[in-house]
Amino acid sequence: MTNSQNLLELENATVAFGGFLAVSGLDFCVTKGELRCLIGPNGAGKTTALDLICGKTPISSGMIRFEGRPIDHLKEYQISRIGIGRKFQVPSVFRELTVRENLRIGNSRDPGVFGNLWRFGGKTEEPERLAELVGLQDELETAAAHLSHGQTQWLEIALILAQDPALILMDEPTAGMTGQETRKTADLFNRLRGQHTLMVVEHDMGFVRDIAETISVMHQGKLLAEGTLEEISADEAVREAYLGSGGIGHA
Amino acid sequence: MTPAGQFAIRFLPYLAFCVAILLVPQFIDDAFLLNKYARYLVFAILAVALCLSWGYAGILNLGQATTFGIGSYCMAMSLKLGTVPVHTGSEGLPDFMVWNNVTELPWFWAPFHSTTFAIIAGVLVPALFAALLGWFMFRGRVTGVYAAIITLATMVVVNLLIIDQQRYTGGFNGITDLAQFEAAGFTFDAYSASTYYLVAGCLCLTLFVSYAITRSKTGLILQAIRDQEDRVRFFGYDVALYKVFVFAVSAGIAGVAGMLYTIVMEFASPTFLGVPLSLSVVIWVAVGGRQSLLGAVFGALIVTGTQGALSESETFLESWTLIMGALFVLVVLFLPKGLAGACELLVQRFRSAAADGKASEPRTPVATQPESAS
Ligand SMILES: Nc1ncnc2c1ncn2[C@@H]1O[C@H](COP(=O)(O)OP(=O)(O)O)[C@@H](O)[C@H]1O
Ligand SMILES: [Mg+2]
Repeated sequence: MTNSQNLLELENATVAFGGFLAVSGLDFCVTKGELRCLIGPNGAGKTTALDLICGKTPISSGMIRFEGRPIDHLKEYQISRIGIGRKFQVPSVFRELTVRENLRIGNSRDPGVFGNLWRFGGKTEEPERLAELVGLQDELETAAAHLSHGQTQWLEIALILAQDPALILMDEPTAGMTGQETRKTADLFNRLRGQHTLMVVEHDMGFVRDIAETISVMHQGKLLAEGTLEEISADEAVREAYLGSGGIGHA
Repeated sequence: MTPAGQFAIRFLPYLAFCVAILLVPQFIDDAFLLNKYARYLVFAILAVALCLSWGYAGILNLGQATTFGIGSYCMAMSLKLGTVPVHTGSEGLPDFMVWNNVTELPWFWAPFHSTTFAIIAGVLVPALFAALLGWFMFRGRVTGVYAAIITLATMVVVNLLIIDQQRYTGGFNGITDLAQFEAAGFTFDAYSASTYYLVAGCLCLTLFVSYAITRSKTGLILQAIRDQEDRVRFFGYDVALYKVFVFAVSAGIAGVAGMLYTIVMEFASPTFLGVPLSLSVVIWVAVGGRQSLLGAVFGALIVTGTQGALSESETFLESWTLIMGALFVLVVLFLPKGLAGACELLVQRFRSAAADGKASEPRTPVATQPESAS
């Protein structure tokens, strides 16, 4: 199934925690430039699937390829260096550092210890441009610990943009955001489309509707369905998976 | 404020401090006092070493005295060989080796005939030792308390090894009866301004280099590692390598401090690699403020200075450990960022009060946020 269009391929990927299969035989492809949404009920294994790709959780069996090369044996920092960035479900920034300092760390084009010894403040346009993009331009000198929850989410998104990876993995980027903040985030994602390949795990179906091209549905560690919003809404298996959780709209 | 202005404000205290310690011999002519002050400045260098690894990278090294001790032995070996033939037996052997029936100078002693070699070894051996230890710890993702315990245990092992290998190290007694340190044709008498200047100069250099490291992007990444090590990896930084780097630099600085200590004290002893000294360094840095290099320096000077003053009276000497313990607990409870943190808070209050006073004047907004961990 190697296809030159595919940026990311998961082949029969499996993660076992003890005897429990959090991800089981997952087959999954993302093509270059695509914005893919990954949905599924709680505990479906979405976060674990992202952990698998970025090296946080080791694969138990199966294969992951990025740009055609296997990456499942690489360390986290090596996976990041070949162009995979990750935003975590619990927003994860450097709380003791200012927004500007956070953004400087996000820009990791040269990750070497010795090269960075000679790098001081210097040119500062990039942090300013990114801060503006996510509405944090007035908070550049604020310690990240003092940001609101929504701002912290945006800061982490900006960090990923500073990193500028080919593939961005986003885990519930709008969790805890107000309706207006969520709409702004949808705008931002629509602007990123094409420049980056995005894989977004999301619960907010309104948000998914705003940004999605193709939606993949996971259930019990497996890929249940894939298609446009209409296609998966009509899918019988998907309806069944969401039974009891109040339907897909409330996932 | 312009970036240059901010830099000046941050850097000015460092400059003022360096000038101040270099001026001390102009006002003090007492050789014993200068020797004592030189000793305090050596401790300040040691505090800077711990501040880098603990304050900036979050690696609590409870065995900082290990690398300090290795540095001091490197210098002592060289100065011992410098006494040939006064304190030596037959064939240029150090006296304690003769007493221990050693007949030939051990291979690892021979190169210490060269002062240059000794100085390089005094920095590199501790740094490589730490790099090796760090490599195993940080590759294996040993962090926090576990890393602290490993550093402590390592120190105990090295200490026992030195005591055990009496034939080569002088054992319990250490290495005593040393020559005076000579460099570039100049002799440094431990009880003179020259040695004081040597130590003060090294402290200034250490501060400058450490300051540059902490202000660089590498320093920023180290702070991010302290804050949230797991997140840093996902930006492509090799966290273990960064930690090994700062651990080794810290050890190299401690090695310099150890060498200077031997020059100032005129001996080396296994007590230099002791638990009491290692824990003292932690207390100095905590009291001064572990996220400020200058804070750590002042912590060392204030605590050792007080200790020195009190130890002249018998009653206080006994209760010193108690005083240190109480001081540590108080600082940890009430001043988590130490004296430096308290100063920063005061400056901020003062600034915002001044800003309120001048509210009517048009002015560019000044960032009143704490300049974290400067
Ligand atoms: N480290 C872990 N150890 C054991 N079980 C885990 C671990 N991480 C996740 N799980 C389990 O794996 C399943 C999938 O979790 P997760 O990927 O977080 O789901 P989702 O993100 O789709 O809500 C859940 O049942 C969860 O309890
Ligand atoms: Mg999840």
